[in-house]
Amino acid sequence: MKRIDYSEKLSNYLYLPVAVLAMIAMIIPVYILFKVSVSSPQEIMTAHPSFLIKKFTLEHWKAIFKSGNLWAPLSKSFTVATMTTLIAIIIAAPAAYVIARMPSKAKYAVVLSLFLLRMFPEVAIALSISVQFLKWNLIDTNTGLVMAHLILNLPFAAWILVGTFETIPKGLEEAALVDGAGKVEALLKIIMPLAIPGIAVAAIFVWLNSWNEFTYALYLTMSKRTLPLQTYYYVVRGGWFDAATYGTILMIPVLMVTFLLQRYMKGGYLSGAVKG
Amino acid sequence: MILLKKYRLEIIMITPLLLYILGFTIYPIFKTVVMSFQHPYTGAFTLANYKEIIGKVEFKSALFNTVAFALISLTLEMIAAIVIALILKRRFKGRGLLRSLMLVPMGVPTLVSGVAMIYIFSMHGYLNELLYRLNIIQIPVDWAGGGLKTLLMVSVADMWKVTPMVILILLAGLESIPGEVYEASNIDGATAWQTFRYITLPLLKPSITMALILRGIDAFRVFELMLVLAGRATPVLSTFAYDEYNNYANAYSSAAASTILVVIIAVFIIGYLKITDSGEAR
Repeated sequence: MKRIDYSEKLSNYLYLPVAVLAMIAMIIPVYILFKVSVSSPQEIMTAHPSFLIKKFTLEHWKAIFKSGNLWAPLSKSFTVATMTTLIAIIIAAPAAYVIARMPSKAKYAVVLSLFLLRMFPEVAIALSISVQFLKWNLIDTNTGLVMAHLILNLPFAAWILVGTFETIPKGLEEAALVDGAGKVEALLKIIMPLAIPGIAVAAIFVWLNSWNEFTYALYLTMSKRTLPLQTYYYVVRGGWFDAATYGTILMIPVLMVTFLLQRYMKGGYLSGAVKG
Repeated sequence: MILLKKYRLEIIMITPLLLYILGFTIYPIFKTVVMSFQHPYTGAFTLANYKEIIGKVEFKSALFNTVAFALISLTLEMIAAIVIALILKRRFKGRGLLRSLMLVPMGVPTLVSGVAMIYIFSMHGYLNELLYRLNIIQIPVDWAGGGLKTLLMVSVADMWKVTPMVILILLAGLESIPGEVYEASNIDGATAWQTFRYITLPLLKPSITMALILRGIDAFRVFELMLVLAGRATPVLSTFAYDEYNNYANAYSSAAASTILVVIIAVFIIGYLKITDSGEAR
């Protein structure tokens, strides 16, 4: 005779409701953000806000596009993210190739260090960087911000790219060398073209990291704000609708790319990587 | 020398990365640590900066809040992640949908998730409204008012953002457990709870440890969410350090607070290395 297994019964009855609850919980904050950005003030600024969008309005969006405050932060964020991505790939890709070809013990040590480098508290690094950049007149400049964003993204890009170069068989470059190609030639004509898909993925993640970056931007900015700082500026001022609209604009590219790249969102691979 | 010549190209290729890391990560951290021991005006070595911040009420509460936040958020995240990972192991209609919806929080910048949480947790926000409509509360709760309530609020906000990542780590661990183990326990007549307690949990331990350490480090560094949701009312070490530098223009006491944070993180990293070294994880 078998005992009645209450724990099994419980989990059989409960797993669906819990799953549904989890699904709802995962979209609610995004829905609320969007809802605030398209609701009239009477619907939000009240003791009892409504859960559904009752009166859809684009007034906050229009106001932001007309205000002239959007373009500068948007283009600054875009420029900095793009420059950071280009430089990060130019520096990290060759280095990652070398690391990938190291003997496995040394490689493990290097990859682990790259991974651990990302864990140091940003406030500790940003503090001396900020003090230094004040002397170098790099506060409020794109150059300064790109240099700061590289701190996070160089080790990150190298770390991802080591995996890409590892999958390219060593035999290919050896064959090219036997055929009389130089080391550099073999690298540029054989290896790099094969690595392009991996490099593209790394580039996109670097771009997003820089687009989202907040701490360094906060330390290195007086007046020329990036998009995250512009969002934060309205949070501090209590501008609910502006913050919601800027937040939505900031989120759109990230959300889109995340869904496009979902096959790369694996546990071990990105743990701590896309924390934004 | 011969080695240098043979690997000349390789050395050229890897040097820029190493130099950048040395110059812009290792050196700044080193400098912050040195600064924390220097007198603001004379530059002489002193413990005055540490004495100064330890004397501050805000610092004591920042230290307490940091540890409390890490404990609360890790507990919440782990429980939720284990439950959802176990659910995702079942085959049911809508499993694919749940898996893709898990990407939503990962596709929202941390700062933006903080903004969304403001609308949920403010006095006349959506959580209070929901509780009111369910007749649980009559008077709105001030979640950002400080104390345990505020820590709980930021923990829930953090949980929303990162639980999907923890789920993915645990799911990878669950999938590596061979099915025969479960068949055997089924034949032996183990209850679902016994199977979970004596089979799943021990075999999942490496993944759990890994997730705990990675998330632990992130929890101690929490910055944007605290700044946006709790502000100065509930400081943690990182927001305290920022406040000292930015609002009180005291780089040296900020350095002292940052150094304390660096030491805590270093302890975690050493723990992580010990565990990966002994082969418990991976």
